[in-house]
Amino acid sequence: MRYRETGELHLDFHGATNTTISYIAKNFGEKALHEILFAVGQKVYKSIHEKLKQGDASELIEHWQYFFTREKGVFKIKETPDAIVLEVAECPAVRQLLKLGLTPSPIFCTQTILVNEALCEGTPFEFKTEVTGYGKCRQTIAKRGIK
Amino acid sequence: MIPSDHFVRFYNEVFKFLDKQGDGALENYYLEISRHQELHCLELFKTKGLQGMYDYWEHIRIEENCDLTLNLQPDCLVLTMNKCPSLTKAMDNDAGLCLKYCDHCPGWVVPLLKNAGYDCQYDIIDRQLPRCRMKITRVISWT
Repeated sequence: MRYRETGELHLDFHGATNTTISYIAKNFGEKALHEILFAVGQKVYKSIHEKLKQGDASELIEHWQYFFTREKGVFKIKETPDAIVLEVAECPAVRQLLKLGLTPSPIFCTQTILVNEALCEGTPFEFKTEVTGYGKCRQTIAKRGIK
Repeated sequence: MIPSDHFVRFYNEVFKFLDKQGDGALENYYLEISRHQELHCLELFKTKGLQGMYDYWEHIRIEENCDLTLNLQPDCLVLTMNKCPSLTKAMDNDAGLCLKYCDHCPGWVVPLLKNAGYDCQYDIIDRQLPRCRMKITRVISWT
């Protein structure tokens, strides 16, 4: 895995992400958010993206496992022959916003949706990101054409 | 979720985008972050002054894994960043570094300190070296 941080966590960064996403959307529009978050998905996470292009989702699964564990999220990863599903029952980012007394932006989860879309663009995979409740989501990655 | 560990790499992409927009877009964003940071700092800085600032950056030193020396004197606080974890991560990054990355720090810190009644001299030293220094002093009123 390309990035594997250790040591203490500064969870308040989720608050700055919340502020930033709202600010960019309000002042520069959705296309701007798309540009920034696609750069995150395909340039920052180049290693995951390149592996997905080769049909290999292993680094993405390792990334989910490592960082959701590190931030004490409540989640499960289920692998089936056709798909890999990340089921998030308590998102650590939303939990931290609430702890700070912040209201999550209505588009807070756009970070996940667009980074996932970026990761899958030009690969044999497609992503479905469903927000299933407050701080809950289901992220499904499957080979294109498999229902 | 962008992990909190990876926020700075997201931030780095935000800076690249805003820098391309020109017309003060980057500086206006720093002010938005400064307003956001008031939530964490302003009351503390106003009520506890330099000691409050010491407490805040000591907390940051630990949580952000900084190699940071804090020197609290009766009339000033000097922060010497020996190895900035934020710039270090932004440089250890397949997307490449925004060369204005370091500017965000004085960009939000200086206006916030001014609102709290303090001056800040900020020395970035070198935008590609994870080191910097700032000295905070109380604004002296002559009236």
